[in-house]
Order: sequence, then structure tokens, then C-alpha cells
Amino acid sequence: MNILKSLEDIVGSEYVSDAEFIRESYSRGINGVLEENRPDFVIRPNNSEEISEIVKIAYNEKIPLIPRGGGAGLLQGVIPYKPGGIVIDTTRMNKILDFNENTLAVKVQCGITWGELNTFLMEKGYYTGNVGPQSGMSAVVGGGLSHNSWGCGIAKYGPVTNNCMGLKVVLPNKNGDIIETGSTASKYISESFNRWGLGPDLSGVFLGDNGIMGIKTEATLLFYPRPKYHSCKGFTLKRKPIQTGLKIFLNYRKKGDLGIFDASFIDDVQTQLMSIQFHPKMPPIFAAIKNVNPRGRAMLFYVIEAESQAILEENVRIVDEITENEKGVQSIDFGSGEGNIAKWMYEKNGHWQISHPLWGTLGPGSIPQSAEHILPMHQLPRIQEALSAWVKVNQIKIQSVGAIASTGGEFGLGNHTTIATPTGLIVWNKPEFRKLNEELWDSYLEALIKAGAMPYMTGMRFSRALIRAGAFSNQYYNFMRDIKKTLDPRGILSPGKYYLGIYGE
Amino acid sequence: MVEELKNLKKFEEMVISCSGIGDCRIGHRPAVGRFGVCPIYEHTTGFEPSHARGRMRVLAGLLEGKLQLNKEIADIFFQCTTCGSCKTICHNSYDPCINLPNANWIDHVKVWEAFREDLIENEFVLPRHKEIIDWCKKENNPYMEKHKDRVNWLKDKKIPDKSEIIFYVGCTESYRLHVISENILKILEKANVEFGIIGKNESCCGSVALRTGNTKLALELAMKNMESIKNTGAKIVITHCAGCYKTLKNDYPDIVGELPFEVLHITEYFDQLIKDGKLKFVNEVNEIVTYHDPCHLGRHSNLYESPRKILQEIPGLQLIEMKRNRENSWCCGAGGGVKSGFPELAVEIAGDRIDEAKEINAKILTTACPFCLNNLIAGAEKKNESLDILDITNIILRSL
Repeated sequence: MNILKSLEDIVGSEYVSDAEFIRESYSRGINGVLEENRPDFVIRPNNSEEISEIVKIAYNEKIPLIPRGGGAGLLQGVIPYKPGGIVIDTTRMNKILDFNENTLAVKVQCGITWGELNTFLMEKGYYTGNVGPQSGMSAVVGGGLSHNSWGCGIAKYGPVTNNCMGLKVVLPNKNGDIIETGSTASKYISESFNRWGLGPDLSGVFLGDNGIMGIKTEATLLFYPRPKYHSCKGFTLKRKPIQTGLKIFLNYRKKGDLGIFDASFIDDVQTQLMSIQFHPKMPPIFAAIKNVNPRGRAMLFYVIEAESQAILEENVRIVDEITENEKGVQSIDFGSGEGNIAKWMYEKNGHWQISHPLWGTLGPGSIPQSAEHILPMHQLPRIQEALSAWVKVNQIKIQSVGAIASTGGEFGLGNHTTIATPTGLIVWNKPEFRKLNEELWDSYLEALIKAGAMPYMTGMRFSRALIRAGAFSNQYYNFMRDIKKTLDPRGILSPGKYYLGIYGE
Repeated sequence: MVEELKNLKKFEEMVISCSGIGDCRIGHRPAVGRFGVCPIYEHTTGFEPSHARGRMRVLAGLLEGKLQLNKEIADIFFQCTTCGSCKTICHNSYDPCINLPNANWIDHVKVWEAFREDLIENEFVLPRHKEIIDWCKKENNPYMEKHKDRVNWLKDKKIPDKSEIIFYVGCTESYRLHVISENILKILEKANVEFGIIGKNESCCGSVALRTGNTKLALELAMKNMESIKNTGAKIVITHCAGCYKTLKNDYPDIVGELPFEVLHITEYFDQLIKDGKLKFVNEVNEIVTYHDPCHLGRHSNLYESPRKILQEIPGLQLIEMKRNRENSWCCGAGGGVKSGFPELAVEIAGDRIDEAKEINAKILTTACPFCLNNLIAGAEKKNESLDILDITNIILRSL
């Protein structure tokens, strides 16, 4: 079978390629310091039906399929585990299919970016609540749903998957079956508006699946009115800052709904590091903070939204009281250009992208490998302890590749009592360091898992680390494998993740 | 292959600094008026190498010896308008509060231009670019015109060839859009400015050569122009062409050293004349006007305000902004040799800008770059739109 010709017949010759330079450009994820594998083909379909046809070919020929969205994941979720296969670039599928103000839900093709979708919604006074994953607004909806992504607005709206009310999915089986989940699974319901009620939540099989169970082509997301009022504040924390920060966050939650859209904490070490110029060509990330926080103390920021000035003022009063009730906490009076990163995020950038400043921190070619993970607030010290122990053991290797290891000095308030912390390694994008980087990274991820961290995105790297670390019982892993086998009998979809699929691992 | 990429090699650190977040593809940040980034991505098949991240990946592959140069790669890189929108959004915090370090480090346009030098040195050249460059070598202009005809537009008009203020006319305004040059002469005369031109000793600034990877020719042309300008005794060189402006102001210091004169765009100079009371608008221009930022002036030279200030001074004129403006502006599609190399693509991109002007009900779309002007007119023609597209000097003259 001439695979290229068959794929061209589906999408037209202009939207499929086997050119070496195009395949090379799809061989790398966001992180240039890890393993790279070229696919044999890259295809840019336009709709579910085209993907279904692609699946049929892949099924018959036993060709791995690797769905790809914005390509902004940190853990190699969008590159082939081994050379070969077909990368399905979904970014051409970026249409808004149904904007429904009766259900406050929008149906989109999964290749639309969070930025494109929120541009559309914000013009009408709405937003998606959680405005895209941590990788930013150029990530696509499909990727966010595959990763249970967090991001801007998480404290109020939860992970992006919380707001997903239904999916259209192409199953990786013989017929490339196309199914709908959520309310429209019933042929008597025309609107996609609710995910639960027709039996088991089968949307959940595909949410956070890291692209292994099916190819999400359409999704219905709830949207929300963007409140008219907001307050963005910052505080310095003098005494036992991490414990104090965690206590403050927990106390926020104990008071119930205060309209907190987001809250973030940076410890004193991170604050000081961010105001250092490591490289002559790279100004410090957070130089502005020196004017209002000259001692480089830990900092806490929040954004509160409200529909009226009165509600805002009352919620701010309560939140400030909780915050300043802790010893050594002081509020800072500043604008967005003076170091108020909450104001910057909400009013200018539209997204935290709080980890993005790390790119290039040490100099040209320095890249952060971030292992964002979720934990209950009170467990952070345990994770930090475990990571510090890991750093101690691996110090020589870390130094030999010029890397810096983070042990959790930053965290953001998540849904309910969770926090997420972007720990990781800052490494150098140099081919000679690649092997050791990978070794260190795998070891770091396993240490995190064993310490009790819960990754919200796993991609290739974290998913395999989970299995190697023995995180799952045999019964659980078999259950997961059986579901995978039912949906993907030949193991062609995203093989390699969780050691599942065609490679027979 | 690496040894054949000596120009790109100088920028290797920039290539490996690309983290690949992908804002350069289709970044939207409604809070700061950013709606999309790469016109080539949006008007081609959209594979990764159609935008900056994918291109950086291809360059990394070439530098690591995983890829070999070929015509397909060359074509993709010549398709870029070098508008610099990718550079503007890359790790841009849009706020002095947060500095995203790579934003200060990766200069995408420099990387693309360095790689184009390598492509040329390895004999990957677009046929149309070759014709233009060959002609430019021979006759100092890219328009297949004779050098001796460069000042024909002046007809019998006598302009001094020595002055402290020199109007550098440029090839487009000499051979094609000399109505703009005539406008400028009228405006300068109205303001009673004593000025000169270089005349027959003016050569192409070298922009076309630089943007298409022909650095040696650009250097030759720059040397010629520097000699000619020095002979005029100029303290200030004013020019209308955005490409000439960028080349004289930003590139000449890199290739010929410090300039003994100041380079001003005519909008900067006219803005100063208005402030000094030498240029006064008297007639009302009762039009709704929007201004298109040329990439060479805007993103490449940070010149956004002087054209707007001038337009705002004109009585009766209502200046309104397109959705994408200033550093978030959408390229017209003509730059970086795309107009000559891929003319249909250039015109198609211009159509986006026409749509944007129509969306806000502008009656006149104005700009301050002859390339943008021509391409926007072509874009409107292709879309069969009746929008008036005028050079800024036309509007200025109507009010004097």
C-alpha cells in the first residue's frame, strides 16, 4: 500500500507530507534537550471524518498515530516514541462550531488555541474561566483536555477538564468509529450541555488520557461571564514563608467562595533568584520587584473577581484579613509595571505563564524541564524534602551538565485544597548533555512520584516514569490496559505512553 | 553541511534558545491587542516550518547535520516576509514588571537573514530574486530600469546636490511611485525647508539585497551611498521608503560603521516641522482614516507614533485604529522578497489588512511605505474592494 498516496486521497496532497525537513520539525517537543524521533508522515486533517479515514489506514497497516495540538507540552507527549508513524497535526481544526448563550457552552474543534477561543469569547464579555494551560494561550483545547491542564483561573474554575461537557472522539479501531460523549450521546438530545447522566462518564475516559484512548476532535466547554470587577494584590512574607503561605491558602478555602480567580506563591529564594542577572545578555526576570521588596522576601499574589464593587470590596476585606492575620505578612502597594505580577497576568498578559520566565534565565540555550504536579497543600514539605534528598544524591551529575534543580519554591492555588508546583531542572540545550539530561530527568520524575506527587500531565516521560516507579497496582494497570485494548485493539494510538501500545512493552 | 552554514552558525545560540512554546504560530493575547502572529502560517499549508518555531527546528536539524540543504527548505525560508511579528511576541511579557529573558535574546529576523545568506552562498536562489539582484548589481536598482534614468522623475526641476538636509529618494519613489517624491518636494517647499538630493549618485539602499541574503551586494551599495551622502554634507538624511529607512538607520551602522549623519523617516521629520510651526495644516480633510504600520518602520524600527501624530493634527480627519496595530500589526505580505518571489501569496496576505480596514469602516487606508502601499492596493483589487488606499503624503498635501 502506498501510504502517502492513501493519505493524500483523504486530505489532499498539500496537507500531508513526508518531506524530511517537515518530519524533522515534528520530531521535537517543547523541550529541545530530550530524545527526538521523526515520524514518517505528518498530516493536517480538517475534520473528524478525515481523521477516521486516517485511522482506518493506520489500523490496517499497524502504523503508530501520534495526535498533536499546539506542540507546547513539556513531556514529549507529541513526538513519536520511536522513529516512524503518522503525526496528526490537529491545528487546522480550529473552528468554533456552536456558540450557545442558552447553555453558556461553546462547541469547538479541538485544534483551536485557548487564545483564539478566548479572543472570540472576550469580545462578547465571556471567557473560558480557566484560560488555557500553563504552557500558555497558544496551546490548543485538545491538548488541555488530554492533560487535565491547569492554568490561569484554576483556583476558581478548576482544571480545564472540569468545564468539558462533551466530546467527539475518533476511536483507533478498525472502522475509525466516531462517537460523541456527554448529552449528545443520546440521539434525542441535540445540545451538548452536560457530561453526566447517561450512565458512566465516558468523556472521562478521554480526559487526561494523554492521547492514548482516542483522538478528540470536538469538545464542548462551558464559558462564563468575565466579571466586571477585580483586584490584584501582592504581599511579602517574612517568617517561615512556605508554611505561612500554605496556611493562608488553606484558610482561604476554609472561608468558602471568595471569588479567588488565582493565587500564587514564590518563596524568598525564588524571588531573589528572579532578580539576579545570571548572564550579561539576559536582564533579570523580576528586577522590578527590588523597588517594593528590597529584601527579597517571599511573595504571595492573588486575583479576586466579582460582579459588583461591593462584593469585591467585601471579599478583598476577608481575604486580606486572612492573609495579614499571619505574622510577618505585609501588603504591597504597587502597579503592574512595579512588580505586581498578578496585575500583569490578569490585565495584560491574560495568562500567568509563570514558568515562562525561566526560559533563558541562565543564558542563551538554557531550558527548563518542568514537572508540574498536584498535591494537597499540606504535603508540600514532604515533596520538598524528597527532592532535596534527590538533589543531594545526584549533585555531581547535576553539576556535570551545568543544571539547576528546583525543589518547589513556587506554587499556585488549585481547585479546592490542591496546589500545583512547577519543580524541575533548568538544563542546557546541548547535544553532548542530552543522554545525561534524560537520565537525570527520568530519575527526578521517579523521585517525585515516589514522594507522592500527582502529575497532571504525563506525556511520554512522566507516564513511563509512573510505571517504572511502580505507582500502579497490577490490578489497576491491567484495568487501564484492558480499556486501552478495547478502544485501541492494535495499540496504534500514542504507543509508548504508560508502556502501552504497539511496541509491545 | 555545518561548514556551509557559516552565517547561520553565528546565530546558533539563538536557534537553540527557541523553547518551542509556539506563540509565533498563532498567538492571541486579547488583553494587549495581539490577534495572530504569522501571515505565512495562516496563508500556506501550515506545517510547522511555515512559522518561526518550525523553522528554528529545521535550522537546528541543519546545524546538527541531521538535514541537508535543499530547494524545499530554501523555498520555505524565502517565503517569510521577515515581518518580525514572531520576534515581537516571543516570550514577550508586554510589561516591564516581568522580563522573559529569551525575548531579549532571540532576534528571529536576523536568524532568517543569516540563513538566507547561506542559501545564496550555496546557490539556492529564487529565479526572480536572481534577476533582480543581477540587475541591481548592474544598474543600482531592482526595477529593471537604467541607472541614468533615476532622476527622470524630477523632469526640469533643479534640486541642490549639497545640503545639510538630504532627501534620500529610494528606487521605488524614483522609478515607480514618483508621485510620492513629488508630494514630498511640495511639502518641504511649503515648509520652506532647504534640502538637497543625491541625484544620479544615489544607488539602491541595499534593502532588497539584504533581505534576500545578498550581503556582499548590500555592502557594495552601502559603500557607494555612504560616499555619495558624505559628499552632500548631509547632517540629516530623510527618506520616505520604509525599507530604505530601516536599511540606512539600522543596517548601515552594522555593515559600514557609525553614520556621520542622522536618519529620519519623513514622518518623523514632518512631525518635527509641525511642532516647530513650519508645517501648518489649513484645509479640512473630513475622512475616516486608518493607518497601516509598515514592518520596517514599526516592529523593526519602533516608529509608531509620528505618522499617527501627523494624521491627528489634520483638521477634520478622524483617525481610527485597526484591531491589530503598532507592534501587533499584521504584515501587508510584501516584505522580505515575498512580493517578488511569491507575488500571489503577498497579495493574499494584503487582503487580510483590507478586511481589517473595512471592519472598522475606514474610508481611507494609509501607510508610509511604498511596498505596503502597492501591495495593499493589489490586495484590495483582488478582493474587489473600493477602499481608498493612499500614501500618507497624499493626505498631508490635501490639508496644506
